Amino acid sequence: MAVTQATSDAHSVVGKRIPKLDAPDKVTGATVYADDMRIPGLLTAAIKRSPHAHARIVSIDVSKAEALPGVHAVIHAGNVTQRSFGYGHDNEPLKSRKVRCIGDEVAAVAAVDAEIAQQALDLIDVDYDLLPEVDDPHAAMLPGAPVIHEELDIEGNVSMRWDFETGDLAAAERDSAVIVEGTYSSPQAAPAPIETHVVIADFDPTGHLTVISPVHMVFMYRKELADCLGLDWQRITIKQPPVGGSFGGKIDIDTHDFITVLLAKAAQRPVKLALTREEEFIGARTRQPIHFKLRTGADADGNITFRDAEVVSDNGAYNAWGSHAMLVAMNTVTSLYQVPASRVRSAVVYTNKNYGGSVRGFGNPQATFAVEQQTEELADALGIDPIAFRLQNANTADSTTTQGLEITTCGLTECLEAVRDRSGWVERRGTQREKFRGLGAATYIHVGGGARIYGSDGCGAMIKIDDSGQVALISGSSELGQGSETVLAMIVAEEIGVPVDVVTVTNSDTDVKPWDVGVHASRTTFVAGNAARLAARGAKAKLLEAAAETLGIAAAELDIEDGMILRNGDRDTAVPYAKAIRRRLLREQSSIIMSSAFYDPPTEKQDEGFIGNISAAYGFGAHVAEVEVDPETGMIRVVGLWAAHDVGRAINPMSCEGQIEGGAVMGIGLALTEELPVQDGRFLAPNLHDYGMPTAADPPRIDVTLVETIDPEGPYGAKGIGEGGIILPPAAIANAVADAIGIRPREYPMRPWKVVDWIQRNETSTVVDQRTGEASA
Amino acid sequence: MTAAPVAAPAAEVFRPADVAEAVRFLADHPGAVPIAGGTDVMIDRRLGRLSTGWLVDISHLDTGGIVRDGDDLTIGATTTIRSIETSRELADTAPALVEAARVLGSVQIRNMATLGGNLCHATPSAEMPPPLLVFGSSAALAGPSGERSIDLADLATGPGTTSLAPGEMLVSVTAAVPDGIGSCYIRQTIRWAMDLAGAGVAASVETDGDTVTALRVGLGAVSPIPMLVPGLDDIAVGHVLDPDVLAEAAARARDACSPISDARGTADYRRHVVAVLTARAIRIAAARARGTWPIDRLAPPNGFDPEVLPGRENGPVR
Amino acid sequence: MKLSLTINGDPYRENVESTQTLLGVLRDDIGLTGTKWGCLTGDCGSCTVLVDGRTVVSCLQLAAQVDGSTIITVEGLAGRGRTMSDLQDAFVRHGAAQCGFCTPGMLVAAEQLIRDGIEADEKAIREGLSGNLCRCTGYNKIIDAVVEIAATRG
Repeated sequence: MAVTQATSDAHSVVGKRIPKLDAPDKVTGATVYADDMRIPGLLTAAIKRSPHAHARIVSIDVSKAEALPGVHAVIHAGNVTQRSFGYGHDNEPLKSRKVRCIGDEVAAVAAVDAEIAQQALDLIDVDYDLLPEVDDPHAAMLPGAPVIHEELDIEGNVSMRWDFETGDLAAAERDSAVIVEGTYSSPQAAPAPIETHVVIADFDPTGHLTVISPVHMVFMYRKELADCLGLDWQRITIKQPPVGGSFGGKIDIDTHDFITVLLAKAAQRPVKLALTREEEFIGARTRQPIHFKLRTGADADGNITFRDAEVVSDNGAYNAWGSHAMLVAMNTVTSLYQVPASRVRSAVVYTNKNYGGSVRGFGNPQATFAVEQQTEELADALGIDPIAFRLQNANTADSTTTQGLEITTCGLTECLEAVRDRSGWVERRGTQREKFRGLGAATYIHVGGGARIYGSDGCGAMIKIDDSGQVALISGSSELGQGSETVLAMIVAEEIGVPVDVVTVTNSDTDVKPWDVGVHASRTTFVAGNAARLAARGAKAKLLEAAAETLGIAAAELDIEDGMILRNGDRDTAVPYAKAIRRRLLREQSSIIMSSAFYDPPTEKQDEGFIGNISAAYGFGAHVAEVEVDPETGMIRVVGLWAAHDVGRAINPMSCEGQIEGGAVMGIGLALTEELPVQDGRFLAPNLHDYGMPTAADPPRIDVTLVETIDPEGPYGAKGIGEGGIILPPAAIANAVADAIGIRPREYPMRPWKVVDWIQRNETSTVVDQRTGEASA
Repeated sequence: MTAAPVAAPAAEVFRPADVAEAVRFLADHPGAVPIAGGTDVMIDRRLGRLSTGWLVDISHLDTGGIVRDGDDLTIGATTTIRSIETSRELADTAPALVEAARVLGSVQIRNMATLGGNLCHATPSAEMPPPLLVFGSSAALAGPSGERSIDLADLATGPGTTSLAPGEMLVSVTAAVPDGIGSCYIRQTIRWAMDLAGAGVAASVETDGDTVTALRVGLGAVSPIPMLVPGLDDIAVGHVLDPDVLAEAAARARDACSPISDARGTADYRRHVVAVLTARAIRIAAARARGTWPIDRLAPPNGFDPEVLPGRENGPVR
Repeated sequence: MKLSLTINGDPYRENVESTQTLLGVLRDDIGLTGTKWGCLTGDCGSCTVLVDGRTVVSCLQLAAQVDGSTIITVEGLAGRGRTMSDLQDAFVRHGAAQCGFCTPGMLVAAEQLIRDGIEADEKAIREGLSGNLCRCTGYNKIIDAVVEIAATRG
């Protein structure tokens, strides 16, 4: 059951459980996704991928493939125009000299059907000269390790180092009564949307390029496409079809996008590339493994004194934007709870593996797994209840963290109290060991009001109201299934004072929509919502102006409620708003009701010392997980999960719950089952029967509490919630396992054989009590 | 425009009228592959593991369904896994078969997949062989030169290979299910549903009072072919199932298997878990034989049921 | 080969390759694209349809084997035309569809569980739907919708 601790402001639309506007089409099978589109003359693309993790390309022979009837284009680095792309320009769409991970693209074909495309791939001969490979980031940093990017001026395969330090660490350590230390690791995992990537590209006879792609940073996509392929970006249109899930997997431009365009150019025909499920795992972006060596201290009164982290991110072969997940991990180390002194020394390291992308949570599940286990380890060492310990150290409203995060609203305390009370924490934690059951908690801090990692963090919105009274919102933002169109329509309806069913939302086409950074960092409700609200405000003012003119009444005396224009609140003389528009429109010298706005949150980029208020609001949340551990097989079942999240304001509580429930189950998958292992140069689980995505039978019912703090900057007080759900399950479940059987999970997924191994090795906490000088488990 | 970039080569489908026509066609067309539910064959085709000229559709052939005759329980090869899962007869007499069937894939897969396909595809982790092995089953084969019966243990010869002669197909399997036999199938997985076993263990127990008169344990996913654990009669028959006997049976199962390390666990772990599941499966089977297991209660998928079998240690069956 | 199928109440005679899957026939030959694919190995359930009243994953169903059968896809769950069944309506009201990609297969699977008389019991329904992966919702709202209709049709 979900509980909303709502402040009951009088809103007619905001706060209602309104079904998604696109749901009727989706439940009747009418929604046309990219692969459902029927395009005359469409060719099918397929990619030749490297089976090797590290090799020099000696030669590529495509002559036999080119000769196959039905093949319209065969491309490779030697016959296309392409430049490097990616952060630091370390990647190419088609590899020219080397392959650096299994799945690297070396050639591609476009043919009349999938069968011929596959035959053509088989006819391409690639001669490789195998190179020593390295799949562990620690090994990659050692002297003598294989060099993955000779062309870059870096040492030890370290792509980037990000270090931060604040406070007097040595003094904080001296002042600590207890210090806990440990290492914590996470796996390569995948966003794994049910729809794989499908990209369609077509040049018209004049050379104008249209790309249909599920990407959700469309304007950046267009620019990167143009830059890399030498195209005129004024002659490119990006259309976003309905997206069958992304979770960050479809956020940025990727190699297959460039390749589809290159094929369309070479074939002079529309080309579609649909990744197979196997390619989705091997050749699309993953969640990067991050390794933490962490120490945390607390004084005898239960105050956290310091955190000290050494972090190594296993970046994989190239820098996608996912390399920057380390920055989010840093925020959690320095800023979750009040931490006076902290140090983060981090390295982003190349390895010969599939490379990390911008997957939901973006480094935070990995960091929180380390930080929040140590929170409970410390509390237990001090003999303080872990939730009481967290409440004592919790972030508060109107505070600024050492990294300069300005926390305006903060519901962390309310979230902790909610999950404590709803889970029966106080009575039940530490009491169920004979049943092999346990409870564990975790909390997070995450951006909730945009994230300024580019120059602008803005989004545009346009509204037109036509003679029927239909209100059309054209947003820069994108719907991915998360329900943003519905939330934006609700904001517009509320702001103007019309029913939500007269609002339509268009957001699919760069020719039409105003500029936006894109959908990432839980920013859409906040940033696109504010833009829509501002545009609606402008449209309403014009509407009232029109009404004032036609009615001969001062605009200041007019308002709109439920679609009726009222004079000083008088319902008897009310006029339907559409009538006022028609009176304005259907005359000589008329004008239309149209309004636009651009919202860029009041934030700043981090400076060189990693200090800066990157978000206009911060989201908080707490989970309690309950597990049952089979101590002999090591199989873990999550039997309860209580989630409370500070959403600022629940514009649409049903959508908020949906984001949290879906994120939480994804987090349970991360914690227990999901992994993309590679053994002897082969992916062991590039499919949906081995990968471990949770089925309906795996998770418990997620119990959601929405905490409303009404953020002053958010639209109607809302903050972002898209990522919050996924951050906590690995940490909360690890803590629950520790409560159930007394061992301390050092890595996830907590697959059964690891659990048995931890039990057999008696893996427990390493806590130093500085008062007695004893190290204890 | 369904994207299937890994396309199967051209092939044809033949639909025989009966088993005799099917085996004649198979004999005349070396390399032709029988297809029933297709849940393995179609995956093999898509992933390029199987390139064949002919698929012989046997899904519609009548192979007799589920029939009990005295102690003999015969199940036709084209019986779907869903029919086994939902059989009242099997739930009463051979719950291990129901427990194996209900964890195989999804409802959709079980609606399509057949017993014959599960046995003849010879996947090491197949669910149905371990419980059939503990019932001492035989397999009836039809071939161009007539019918023959073999011990089910001799059907699979390695991962993906069987002892079926050219032109032969499996028609039915007959299990020996005497009155009072208790049975159970449990397994270790990564997910709680829709998963392949990392280790699957079936047990059957017959008792006279407190004394064991027969004990069999079948293993799946931990050796190249599903197998019976040898030597259990020596330690169990004529004895009470006390912790020592259970521990010895578990140890023999552990020592008899030869698992590999892959995405479903390390070899060492799988040996460990075989021992754990063996003790649990025997306890549950024995409880059923003695009538102390709740009727209509299927074992939890991994046999971990603190309510019915409390305690971590393998205590005596009550 | 010639294939005769009754799909969502309408008769179809299609000339298809004999090794075509039912999924391919529905999407490519007939143009009923409501049925989705997510793996083509039977693991995600997005392509679930009804064949003579039982659910199958149409990506693994050889079309030749179902010649003469009655097929129901997501487009036919409410009978004919663009209306919604009680279950489809419950999915909308409960917020059970987010990206919507698993939704057609999930609905078909759930519809048949209910027709087969599954109790309005959360655990049974979760196990019954374990062959239909959803990455968006965490399943809560899907289960809520199915439990409600299983109870009301009871």
